[in-house]
Amino acid sequence: MARFTQTFSSRNAPPRCDCGVNGKSAKKRRLPDLRGFVLPALAFAIWWAVSAVHGGKGGLLVTPEQVWHTTWQQITSGALAKALGASLAREASGFAIGTVLGLALGISLGLSRLASRMIGPSFDTFKQISLFAWIPLISVWFGLGDAAKVVFLSLAALLPVAAHTCDGIHAVPRSYVEAARVFRYTRWQLVWHVILPAALPSIFTGLYLALIYSWLATLGAEYLLVAGSGIGNTLIDGSENFRMDLVLFGIVVVGVIGSLLSGLARAAERAVLERRGGASLKENV
Amino acid sequence: MSDTVTLHLQTASSQIPTHRRTVTQRWRSLGWALAPWALPAALIALWWLGCERGWIAPQILPPPARVYATFVDLAQSGDLLHNTLISLQRVLCGFVAGTLGGLLLGAALGLSRTFEAYVLPSFNAIVQIPVLGWLPFLLLLVGVGEPLKYILIAHAALVPATLSTLQGFRNVPVTLIEASRVFGYTRWQRIVHVVLPCAVPTLATGVRLAFTKAWLALVVVELVASSEGLGYLIVYGRQLFQLDLVMAAVVIVGAIGFAINRALDALERRLRRGLPSAFR
Amino acid sequence: MSFLRLLRSVAIACACGLVATAALADKPATIRIGVAQQGNGDPPTFGGSSAATVQQQQLLEKEFAADGIKVEWLFFKGAGPAVNEALADKSIDFAFQGDLPSVLGRANGLKTRILLESGVRVGVKIGVPPDSDVHSIKDLKGKRVGLFRGTNLQTVADNALAKNGLDERELRVINLDTASALAALASKGIDASVNDYHLYKLRDQGLARIIYESQNDGPQFTRQAHLLVTEEFEHAHPDIVQRVVTSFVKGAQWSSDEANRQALFKSWARSGVSESSWNAEFPPGSLKSRNSPLVDPFIVARYKAVAQDALKLKLIRQPVQVDGWFETRYLDNALRTLKLEHEWTPYDAAGKPLG
Repeated sequence: MARFTQTFSSRNAPPRCDCGVNGKSAKKRRLPDLRGFVLPALAFAIWWAVSAVHGGKGGLLVTPEQVWHTTWQQITSGALAKALGASLAREASGFAIGTVLGLALGISLGLSRLASRMIGPSFDTFKQISLFAWIPLISVWFGLGDAAKVVFLSLAALLPVAAHTCDGIHAVPRSYVEAARVFRYTRWQLVWHVILPAALPSIFTGLYLALIYSWLATLGAEYLLVAGSGIGNTLIDGSENFRMDLVLFGIVVVGVIGSLLSGLARAAERAVLERRGGASLKENV
Repeated sequence: MSDTVTLHLQTASSQIPTHRRTVTQRWRSLGWALAPWALPAALIALWWLGCERGWIAPQILPPPARVYATFVDLAQSGDLLHNTLISLQRVLCGFVAGTLGGLLLGAALGLSRTFEAYVLPSFNAIVQIPVLGWLPFLLLLVGVGEPLKYILIAHAALVPATLSTLQGFRNVPVTLIEASRVFGYTRWQRIVHVVLPCAVPTLATGVRLAFTKAWLALVVVELVASSEGLGYLIVYGRQLFQLDLVMAAVVIVGAIGFAINRALDALERRLRRGLPSAFR
Repeated sequence: MSFLRLLRSVAIACACGLVATAALADKPATIRIGVAQQGNGDPPTFGGSSAATVQQQQLLEKEFAADGIKVEWLFFKGAGPAVNEALADKSIDFAFQGDLPSVLGRANGLKTRILLESGVRVGVKIGVPPDSDVHSIKDLKGKRVGLFRGTNLQTVADNALAKNGLDERELRVINLDTASALAALASKGIDASVNDYHLYKLRDQGLARIIYESQNDGPQFTRQAHLLVTEEFEHAHPDIVQRVVTSFVKGAQWSSDEANRQALFKSWARSGVSESSWNAEFPPGSLKSRNSPLVDPFIVARYKAVAQDALKLKLIRQPVQVDGWFETRYLDNALRTLKLEHEWTPYDAAGKPLG
């Protein structure tokens, strides 16, 4: 549907037929749209002007140079690498564990009616409890150290994966299953060749959300659980030492990592789904 | 759900004599009805047993009876109502503000290509930063008072609301737009009579997501810096080493989040039309 | 038959005895000490008490190096309450903790023994933004006050409020840990912060004004901190406990000597709190009374008072027995061994020096 909108909108000319006359592609070359840069450029200019006049004196209004200086210092001193390494390692382990468990749970909930009946409602309820409310309990039950953080992150990743896997399997059209029955697929073949591929877009949505939620949870865990090293800790330290430049630096890093992660997830999804020629059902976050 | 069960019963009915069929059916349906309670009951039993046998220190996992007693205590002393109302008030204000803002922003982005070209890239960049990433920034900027909570919750709600609205507006089938052009609808009529009704299901999902995010943000911000509210109760209990208070407060947070989520879910389902599928 | 039975009983008894002695003689691989403060600096450290001296001079590490026992110092940003969680979790063996959080832990069933004091007669300070219109405690009514709940700041603050006719409920108390409270005060996010010597740094930077120092109201308005051990560890390794206590007494002695004043503050300054702040916190001549490890009648009376206050403020749900909590024989042994019986002056219940 989105493709139609782009193709027929009044901004573009109708697509030319690619007759392969000169071997050139039919893709029209357009100037990159620079209008998106206007707003940030304006904001940056205002920031520069105001901070040049009022700021830079150790207060909250820091100049762009200060932020740049802090950024450079964090990168070169290796502090950024250390913090990011710790955060991403935690997130990766939490994400991996949560995804594996979530897939297992989601598949069993999706395929088995009994499991869905017994575990489904409890899982549904559990899913809707705000994740961060568990942090105080998790930190008391799992002690200090990284165990508590990884448990929390696994939980953050598990919920969307299980939920979307289960939903994806439930959404498989009956016609597919009936067609497979006609062809006398065994139960295993049914699952592996029909159901899972049909549920794949939904599973990928779940994985994508899991990645995002576990990144969010990483930050939250670093704020609320025992200190260690991590980018969340850098942010909180910045706010506790009233260093706005460090906070701004941290925000930019967090944003960049967030976009890299979601880009990664989208690319993976595209790679797998394009091979199958399916359309993806994305749920907007 | 009914397919296989019905099939099985039909097969069974031809083999089992009449009076036993009724009994078997009854047991089966009873088991089916009670099945969802099996897991929670087992967990609570395990919890109670663990405390009785002392497998876990009572400071770390208070017995269920104690948590219940604390819960009753909270309700009776009025603390529960007071803190719940404060939390609800915060989340509702922030949620409404954020969602309305998101709907407006998303509508503007969806309807005007120019606006979208200028604003969407910056918005996308801001979206990449999770809600929690803004917390230290806002802590420095506005301190630990009420504005911090409202701003954070509103931001948490605004992002999904905007994105969903945008998607809803964009996903209107082009055939409908063209048909409305054929019939000579004005731009305003097109928006009200064609675009909005098509976008409503996606909007409903967006509103539900916005609430989930808003509730999440509320809990975090109350855990970090608050003098009242449910998150504050959790922190208070933890500081005083009263885990039963913490657990009671967590249960309440969960229950409220669950209730409101369910309500929004029901609303969303009514606005969406589902497809029949193999496993439901 | 009976001979065989006798033989079997003897064999079992020997086996049990061997196992028991093996268990008793078994040394822990690590001694874990929890510190109810956030560790600052690199490597993390703290200051303001003889415990800090022990950690910085590595007295315990040196003591146990020959036995191959490692010493681990664990810092808790969540202070006393977080240490309680670690104690319940059995993640630490010893703890340097304040009076109130230990009372809270004991009220909730934690089995510990207080060995010696480390940082007594410590005051509590209330800081406000420099341009604030709050000049005394009475002006705090209705204001947003940052207070770290569950730490030994709380009881002193509540007593100070009561003395001025106020109740916590008449303020808007926000629970903030030390660092967050300082940040909030500097950015004027709160109207006042109940804090410790960290406020001096803000005052020197012109970001805060201190309107109240509780020790000026008398020794009843001070807080104490101590070293405690879990009962389990004490039963299993009394010899190790003795050696730890002796090292702490050595650290206390060094920290009580006015001649070491500059070196002491320089060492403590590694935690990020400047020497001038330490100088303000410890007026000349006060080192000995502040770093005394003695469990004298004043200490016992203060802990009893804190337990009563906690009950009155509904911080605990049943009364706490302070008798039987202090285990001073290790301290007495250490004082005797090091010949320091008369180094420090004991104080009576009212806080006046004895003899």
